[in-house]
Amino acid sequence: MQNLTSLYNLKFPTVLVYMLQATEYQIGPYVAWVNRTHNFNSVIQRRTLDRTTAVRLLLWGIRLGIGLQVTSGLVLIYLGQWQHLTGGVYFGLAVIVAYPLIWTYAAVLPLLIGRQLIVVPREQRLVAESAKIFAAHRGAKIAIAGSYGKTTMKELLATVLAEGKKIAASPANKNVATSHAHYARKLAGDEDVLIVEYGEGAPGDVAHLARLTQPTHAIITGLAPAHLDKYKTLEAAGRDIFSVADNLPADRVYVNHQSPAVDPFVKPGWRLFDTRQALGWRVEKLQTGLDGTSFVLKKGTKKLPLRSGLVGRHQVSYLALAATLALHLGLSEKQVQAGIAKTKPFEHRMQPYSLSGAWIIDDTYNGNLEGIRAGTQLLKDLEAERKIYVTPGLVDQGEATERVHIEVGELIAAAQPDLVVLMQNSVTSFIQRGLSKGKFAGRVQVETVPLEFYTNLNHFVAAGDLVVMQNDWTDNYA
Amino acid sequence: MKTIAVIFGGRSAEHDVSIVTALASIIKPLELTKKYRVEAVYIAKNGAWYWDDRLKDIALFASGKIRQLVDKTSPASIQFDGGLTLIKSGSGLTGRKQQLKIDIVFPAMHGTYGEDGALMGLLDMAGVAYVGCGVSAAAIAMDKVLAKQLASANNIPVSNFLAFSKTELTDQLSTAVKAITNGLEFPLFVKPSHLGSSIGISRVSNELELRNGLEVAVHYDSSVIVEEAVGNLIEVTLPIMGNDQPIPALLEQPMTLPDDFFDFQTKYMQGGKKGKGKASAKGAQGYSKIPADLPKDVYAQAEAVGIQVYKALGCSGISRVDMLIDSVTKQVFFNEVNPLPGGLYAHNWAQAGISGVNLVQQLIGYAEERHAARQALTTTFSTNYLQQF
Repeated sequence: MQNLTSLYNLKFPTVLVYMLQATEYQIGPYVAWVNRTHNFNSVIQRRTLDRTTAVRLLLWGIRLGIGLQVTSGLVLIYLGQWQHLTGGVYFGLAVIVAYPLIWTYAAVLPLLIGRQLIVVPREQRLVAESAKIFAAHRGAKIAIAGSYGKTTMKELLATVLAEGKKIAASPANKNVATSHAHYARKLAGDEDVLIVEYGEGAPGDVAHLARLTQPTHAIITGLAPAHLDKYKTLEAAGRDIFSVADNLPADRVYVNHQSPAVDPFVKPGWRLFDTRQALGWRVEKLQTGLDGTSFVLKKGTKKLPLRSGLVGRHQVSYLALAATLALHLGLSEKQVQAGIAKTKPFEHRMQPYSLSGAWIIDDTYNGNLEGIRAGTQLLKDLEAERKIYVTPGLVDQGEATERVHIEVGELIAAAQPDLVVLMQNSVTSFIQRGLSKGKFAGRVQVETVPLEFYTNLNHFVAAGDLVVMQNDWTDNYA
Repeated sequence: MKTIAVIFGGRSAEHDVSIVTALASIIKPLELTKKYRVEAVYIAKNGAWYWDDRLKDIALFASGKIRQLVDKTSPASIQFDGGLTLIKSGSGLTGRKQQLKIDIVFPAMHGTYGEDGALMGLLDMAGVAYVGCGVSAAAIAMDKVLAKQLASANNIPVSNFLAFSKTELTDQLSTAVKAITNGLEFPLFVKPSHLGSSIGISRVSNELELRNGLEVAVHYDSSVIVEEAVGNLIEVTLPIMGNDQPIPALLEQPMTLPDDFFDFQTKYMQGGKKGKGKASAKGAQGYSKIPADLPKDVYAQAEAVGIQVYKALGCSGISRVDMLIDSVTKQVFFNEVNPLPGGLYAHNWAQAGISGVNLVQQLIGYAEERHAARQALTTTFSTNYLQQF
């Protein structure tokens, strides 16, 4: 009954627009979300509607449409009841009752029309212009692609190279053709190095970005199941990601060799890096804790001690490549040391902070299996009186969803936390199966209202606790 | 699922502090455990009781809308029926009377008619389990004079003090002042005997200030204690919980200057900072050192004194013992006991390794343990006394 009445709630139009906004106005994900929603009153949990001009117009358009439809229905009922219009009452009632169904789908019409008539042509023009800017640019153009770790790699490299070069990196985690077009327009043209992050979401995305930006170097940060709803298989995702290197000399392609999934794609001559070595430098004396990570790079008799604020053993592969590539591009050892020393955790990516005396590792932006592997390993490595692991699981795993989440459960079990907190959703049972398979002996707590857990975390933890929180499902995945 | 009534507010100068303690430190973590049905029972400043789910929302109090709710709602009543049952007149279409049997009461009251044993007496009469100190411990703890006398009798060091009734101070102020100046050395602290949260306390350095301080203190209370200030002062406080085997949290050191002290304004309105600082969400807790920065032997001595006081006063459930340390002589003096620390001192327990959720559950456990022990006692016996009439 509540589900039914939620369709006729006065806030129903706001909920529809919220769903559109949360899915970034992509019609497919919006329709899928609508179709699996039972109670529209419980959709808005994490955020509120950002009332931009477009949103306000859309909202009022839907309200006006609903108002007209209901009025039409009432008129039909009137005509049927008092003017003897045949079937007027029933048809009028049907028109009124049907308004949620009609406006749920009619809401996307302005988007479809606006996108085809205004947005797409404008974006195509911007992207074409940016291709010319990238082609004319004389600086080194380093492309960063991979299923995970792209933003981290980009930020690290930018921080270190900035010690001796004029650099321009694509902003934040904006990594699609349109955002790169805006980024290109802001370039001064005299930069020594451009660092461009490549997003991947569907087959052909990376190849398209490579044609657009024409890189001189490529870094592939890793391959793991992600966006499999579109790629379908890991192999297809790998083919797209590794296409970034198609037209590059072998010695300018750098591949993170931490995950075995990259092996089938690696070509002879490519430079592999991991937590043990990068570009001929060996990693020694590696130490990691909540206050950061330190290690020594060694090549022959040369030794380069480095210290970073980043947390986690897995970060060393990125740090080592950033340092050695910077040396390769002409920075001095002192500049590299200074650059690495400036690196610190990024928001929601293995970011440690203290809460009620406990240590929290916030990795809620993580969304892939390799990230889970790194997070659970960190939980295992660090000392604590009570270890807690929190996750809802991963999204966009396509047909691999079950297998991946069983593996997630096994990875958690191997880290031996005292308590595992799972956010109740469609993958919870798979993780629980993985926990059983991994013979997990600790306590499992399933939270039905994730937001309540996250916002009241301070009540659950105390000194001596170490909490690793990985991934967070936004409303459109819940 | 057990039903817990959290009682807060009350006819006390610390009414508002009690609301924050109840809503932030008790009701929220209790609900997060998902093990209990939690009921909010609010006692308004006029003493009327209200029982309503809307009382769990701090915004109701912060916005002042509580006044409208109180005006439009009939007060709740309680029934002693071999336990405690909450009753309120119905609302909505049916207007049916609602009643609910309470398994455990969690008092969140500070100051008079709540923390001082009055509420505990009522709960004992009802025969319901409740969290925190019993009647006698609460009453003694909230009477600074009695607490110091009891501590002295147990060879627990206290600073020199004198106590006066309101009548003595209003009718024979000069005599009282003379007794103080002859018997004690300035600087002195003048305190209402029964109030917490530093309300009505003055630090005085001469006779004129003393007279003013006495006038202020007697305005709040029926008796007043005047005590010598401890030199080279380090102030510490120790939250403790448990029944027969008390567990200490960590010694906490408010970061005041040696000659400074927290009055109500400093403690709750300026985030624990002296001066014109903005209010902080952390309250006094935002300006203290946990654990206190003390030499090991002094730390251990203070912890031992805290436990000794807790036992001597017969505390149970939870309390907080305040102590004064002379940093030169390293002597620890008992200052006072707070039978229901503001916010349960959850911030300190968290630093000691006990989360807010675990803290309230442990306190519920202690309440049940003590109640079970009391139930096991024989309180009646059969005689043929009546047959002679």
